[in-house]
Amino acid sequence: MPTDSDIDVRGCKIHVRRGGHGDPLLFLHGAQGLSGWEPVLAALAESFDVIAPDHPGFGQSAIADGVDDVGDLSLFYFDVLEALGVSSLHVVGHCLGGWIAMEMAIRSTARMKTLTLVASAGLRLEGVPRADMFICNQDDLVQLLFAGNDATSWQQVWHASPEWEEIYDRNRFAAARFSWQPRLCNPKLARWLHRIDVPTHIVWGEHDKVIPPAYAAGLKDRIAGATMTMVPACGHLPHVEQPGQVAAVASQFIQRGAP
Amino acid sequence: MKVFVFHLMPYADLDMGYKDKYRAAWVVLPNSYFDPKKGHDLYNRYLDELELAAELGFDGVSVNEHHQNAYGLMPSPVVMAAALTRRTKTCKIAILGNAFCLREHPLTLAEEHAMLDCITGGRLISGMVRGIGAEYYSMGANPAFSHARFQEAHDLVVQAWTKPGPFAFEGKFYHFEYVNLWPRPYQQPHPPIWAPSTGSTETIEWAAHPLRRYVYLQAYSPVQSVVRYLNYYREAAQRMYGYTASSEQIGWSAPMYIAETDEQARKEAGPHIEALFNRLLRLPFEMMFPPGYLSAKSLANMRSHKRSVTGQEHTVDSLIEAGIFLCGSPDTVRKQLTDAHRLLGFQNLLCLLQFATLPRDLTEKNIRLFAREVLPALQQLTDKEYTGMETQAAE
Repeated sequence: MPTDSDIDVRGCKIHVRRGGHGDPLLFLHGAQGLSGWEPVLAALAESFDVIAPDHPGFGQSAIADGVDDVGDLSLFYFDVLEALGVSSLHVVGHCLGGWIAMEMAIRSTARMKTLTLVASAGLRLEGVPRADMFICNQDDLVQLLFAGNDATSWQQVWHASPEWEEIYDRNRFAAARFSWQPRLCNPKLARWLHRIDVPTHIVWGEHDKVIPPAYAAGLKDRIAGATMTMVPACGHLPHVEQPGQVAAVASQFIQRGAP
Repeated sequence: MKVFVFHLMPYADLDMGYKDKYRAAWVVLPNSYFDPKKGHDLYNRYLDELELAAELGFDGVSVNEHHQNAYGLMPSPVVMAAALTRRTKTCKIAILGNAFCLREHPLTLAEEHAMLDCITGGRLISGMVRGIGAEYYSMGANPAFSHARFQEAHDLVVQAWTKPGPFAFEGKFYHFEYVNLWPRPYQQPHPPIWAPSTGSTETIEWAAHPLRRYVYLQAYSPVQSVVRYLNYYREAAQRMYGYTASSEQIGWSAPMYIAETDEQARKEAGPHIEALFNRLLRLPFEMMFPPGYLSAKSLANMRSHKRSVTGQEHTVDSLIEAGIFLCGSPDTVRKQLTDAHRLLGFQNLLCLLQFATLPRDLTEKNIRLFAREVLPALQQLTDKEYTGMETQAAE
């Protein structure tokens, strides 16, 4: 069973879920946050020691003073790794989490063995707009996020209790803090992607309406040696819509790609 | 009491059929709905209306800022204020407000306000607002930093107006090696600053702070909310800061319409006030309150209050009933306002006498009737008529 704990990262309380056995794997969640020990985490935990923190300001983590953008967040995560005492790990990042992972990797891959990017934010492709997740109401958001698969159970979590409703609002607040302007990207990131020198795999929903699949190809073109899996019948949350498949793809890639 | 005529300068010619295609008259409504020739007529008509109000003895005229919408065509209220400076001679010109914090460079606005103040010989009132939530979509400013940026922009502008330049300003959001305003404002130390809001606790407490004592202006609210928030200002001054707020620090803004009888007023204004609330002010919750725009506490407060303003179809009767819209014969409206003043003691009143599609002839009649039948009684009201706080403050 996974454990929930709060760790202190230079004075900031960070909530961490951790479970499973194997090499450490850091799962960096997306703009929607984590709705608990999600099925994809459980599936990954069969092969890895899965570490899934709430980013500062998300979920049950505190806001980290002075951590205002994704560049700050990436440096903050080096502090998190130090606090956890993890010196070597695989990173899986979804959406905002993929963006954080890339910002970390362009700074240093010294601790990073592999990188898996799932429907990752961060890149900007000219002429390929990303959708605005903030302007829609919750029903429209579900339409935008999912490719027609049943979203009921995912949606229900956020209304399960007043605490979860509060977390939903906190997650939106924190997502805005890090990704409002420019929306979900760092226009300068592409300039530095050549610095990513670890095996990288890209996973994308074929019907992602938030960050269109052109971005998967865009990342593959810019990250040397990157490989890619497109997930059919899947939108912006492949790890929610197809958790088994995403975990299997990530596990196979990591086991194949890890030196 | 000081009585102002406030104008939103709406796009009155909007094809209201838009509502079947678009969720809002803001942000997502294509600007192909705007006809510049009609815009030309409307701007000039609206300026005429404000100039008429000035001639008829109102204490001031007032304009404000909104972006990318049909509700109010003043992305730059400074432009409208400038047009009014030479056509009005004695009345105040109130910009309520300008969103300094939406700018990457708030000093440009500080300069423009100083220019207006010099041209008018000190008739400017500078309102400072964060902008409504929709503006954070339009202007690309991050709502999560809205409060902090508002305060820093305010500090920068007030320092620019008051501190001998050149000096350097080093903030979190704004960085200037040289702050050295030419011109400096005419009024010393600076133009009066007002804080218009629809009831943000943070804004009220900020405005009431003894270093500021800014006029807090409550806009667009059911009368119970007006009572709650205006009393909360006095409460905050007393309880948090240990001083008694003056009634000059308090203001109320509302749409108003006067005709010969209650019935006639309701009939004439009905379709237009309904167009204001149901069509032009149509804003989904997510646009009105982008994430981070409100603190968790204000968000909870607002969920109940604001739904009552924008969340449902209003009728002229429900708007009058709620006290959001003051409408009736001169006797009716005069009594409503003097009664409210006895209870709340606001020494500033902003009257929105044109709204949505209200046409030129009815607007002019409204302004003239108000000026003749209601204005003199209001201008005589002082703090003596205020009977004191009678209700519990905002939670």
